Amino acid sequence: MLTFLLRRLVTSVVTVVGVVVIVFFLARLTGSPANLYLPEGASPERYEQFNREHGFDLPLWEQFVRFLGGVLRLDFGDSIWQQRPALEAAAEAMPPTLLLALIAMTGSLAVAVPLGAAAARRRFRLADRVITLSSLTTASIPDFWFALVGVLFLSIQLGLLPTSGDATVASWVLPVATLMLAPVGVLTQVTRGAMIDALGSGYVQNARARGLSPSRLVYRHALRNAALPLLTVAGDRAAGMVNGAIIVGTVFAFPGIGTLIVGAVLNRDFALIQASIFIVGVAVVLLNILVDLTYALADPRVRIS
Amino acid sequence: MTTRTSRRIAAFAAVPLVFLAACSGQGPGTAAGTDLTIALAVEPVSLDPCDTQDATNAVVLRTNVTESLTRIDPETGEVVPFLAESWEQVDPSTWRFTLRQGVRFHDGTPFDAAAAAASINRVLDPELNCQNLDQFPYPLTATALDAATLQVVSESPDSILPLRISYADIGAPATPAGEKTSSPVGTGPYRFAERVQGQSVTLTRNDDYWGQAGQATSVRYVYREEPSVRAGMARTGEASIAVPVSVQDATDDDRTREYQDNRVFFLRTSTEKAPFTDPRVRRAAQQAIDKQTIVGSLMERTGTPFDQIVASTVNGHIDGFTGPAFDPAAAEQLLRAAEADGVDVRAPIDLVTRPDLFPGSDEVIQAIHQNLQSVGFTVNILSLDTDAWLQLLRSPFPPDQKATIIAISHDNISGDASFSFPKYMAGDGSNSTIRNPEIDALLAEAEQAGGAERAALYQRAAEIEYRDVNAFLPIALQSKLLMLGPGIEYQPNSLTGVELSVADIAITTG
Repeated sequence: MLTFLLRRLVTSVVTVVGVVVIVFFLARLTGSPANLYLPEGASPERYEQFNREHGFDLPLWEQFVRFLGGVLRLDFGDSIWQQRPALEAAAEAMPPTLLLALIAMTGSLAVAVPLGAAAARRRFRLADRVITLSSLTTASIPDFWFALVGVLFLSIQLGLLPTSGDATVASWVLPVATLMLAPVGVLTQVTRGAMIDALGSGYVQNARARGLSPSRLVYRHALRNAALPLLTVAGDRAAGMVNGAIIVGTVFAFPGIGTLIVGAVLNRDFALIQASIFIVGVAVVLLNILVDLTYALADPRVRIS
Repeated sequence: MTTRTSRRIAAFAAVPLVFLAACSGQGPGTAAGTDLTIALAVEPVSLDPCDTQDATNAVVLRTNVTESLTRIDPETGEVVPFLAESWEQVDPSTWRFTLRQGVRFHDGTPFDAAAAAASINRVLDPELNCQNLDQFPYPLTATALDAATLQVVSESPDSILPLRISYADIGAPATPAGEKTSSPVGTGPYRFAERVQGQSVTLTRNDDYWGQAGQATSVRYVYREEPSVRAGMARTGEASIAVPVSVQDATDDDRTREYQDNRVFFLRTSTEKAPFTDPRVRRAAQQAIDKQTIVGSLMERTGTPFDQIVASTVNGHIDGFTGPAFDPAAAEQLLRAAEADGVDVRAPIDLVTRPDLFPGSDEVIQAIHQNLQSVGFTVNILSLDTDAWLQLLRSPFPPDQKATIIAISHDNISGDASFSFPKYMAGDGSNSTIRNPEIDALLAEAEQAGGAERAALYQRAAEIEYRDVNAFLPIALQSKLLMLGPGIEYQPNSLTGVELSVADIAITTG
């Protein structure tokens, strides 16, 4: 297990460094951000001064070498947009995103697993059809549409929830619901499929013949075997939540890494783009390792291999 | 049994949602008491007093935290006293300002000529890279003659220096000289309290203010990019004011207020690239666009069809001038004539825009695209983010740039065409594609002139452009909308886009 972990950590470091390097070059393909930060009519001297101050006048290779040196010291430079260390701004934005993703994923699993299991147990009956249709619908609804309709209906028409922000617990309802929407649909479908396979397998038939109660059969035996595909998809979705949350940030002005990255890109803030991508990269890599470890807990065969 | 377990799990599943929903019983927050919340579209980039040329910074700071020696009257467009009580021109390059007495900065330091001089000279320090520096084309030096008298000497005669000085917001002497500050200290009716990056800026009332204090005890600016969310905040009372709001989100009652900020939406052709090298082609583009229909149906309350690039409050505006009418047949004829003379009128053209040009601009651009295509132009819409758009707006233009028509929304609140024409019409203007010696000469002459003569020279330059050059395709004089929350009264004016004075906001109910 330790060897596995070490191997994963080494490949993860390579992945994160690779992503950060790619982002360095992609960001700089867009040229100097001087146009954004200098007013109309600024003299060429002011452009030169701006580029000199921020090191954009240096050859690309020299900027890259300086950048790599900084990365080794976890120094991504100062954010031009936020006028503070870029890593500090990115690290500050991460906890709300992680908390939001954690709540949304816990909620998604808590809704999707029982629904998927119930649909599998009542395969082709009315309950199954209703659950399948509902889950396909939630998986297909565009999140930005749901977010805006949620604001118009629940906040403006009914006055039940705040339109935006994160000031109160109530402010979290719509962002969480928006983030949960697609995962609930997908995870319900995955659970249903995996449970149908598990319930049809020989050991379940055998257990049923021995007189095990249906609930014990489903939740103790079949569900555990159906957990692997569920974990794979849930892990992928959780990474997507950390990565994204952009719609939630944009519509609800929910502070987080998604909003920060969009702002950094629009403001051509190279240091902040790099620091944010670095933080997200680390979070996604750690999440993937966590999912791998959970595989091992859920399935002894994985542990042995 | 199975049903019971399912229920148990379902109950567990519902816990987070039920918990959150239960907490929602408190409903939306309200702009209760005298604490205001203003929902803006974007966060200020800088809170330094020397960066208030950018409207996103100015709307928070100007006339709230910081003040200038002079200001523009939003009703008349005249330059009126503010921190200076009066001024006089001593010689063509020298102006003397008599300052208001008894004014203090928020940190308790007295406002005097030395503080004003330091603040103005700070704006002019090229090392500091202030946004406001570009309002001062000639180097100048501010000196305190005594506590109440400030002398400003310009390297070149400047007849509109009192207007320019309105762009120098005065910060306290404690403001760092060699670096930007994010904690501005001014003399205004509200003092800077807190900034939560990415979320809000809070100001609190300055109870020692020299003028008419505001009713609100504090104001918090929050940023909501989505226009419908901004409007929703005002409708539910979460925000006292939402600015700007789009036509689609506007209410029919008087809570949605309209205001003009002397902003004009126009297109600029790249006159140095075929097919726009031929004036007939530029004229054809003008006549191909049905601005009456486009503006009337798509911009509604936020636009009026317009034929010039500056509003009527600017001295370069020509009263009574009307541009060529919509005439697609004439446009096609002009294109055919140009084509017969060897002009490649089918050359591909990029119609360059950006999504945040103004609310609903995407639809307007699509309609313009349709109009241009229908008379025979080959046009491709290129929607860019601000940085990429700026690269095509400002010279030097990329060497591989195709022929472009770029969409521009330009405001001039100063009333003087020197803040528009040299930039867009002069041969060396940063945003100009016009190379016309006659226009250049008129602009240079106007720069040295004053009063009616200055206005006449600017108008002559504009007339040459509108009649002969046709590099611009003016579309609409723009209006903006804001929405008031319940119990809030505020009358927007032509400066609201850059000076949303909190002291002017009345709270009509508790």
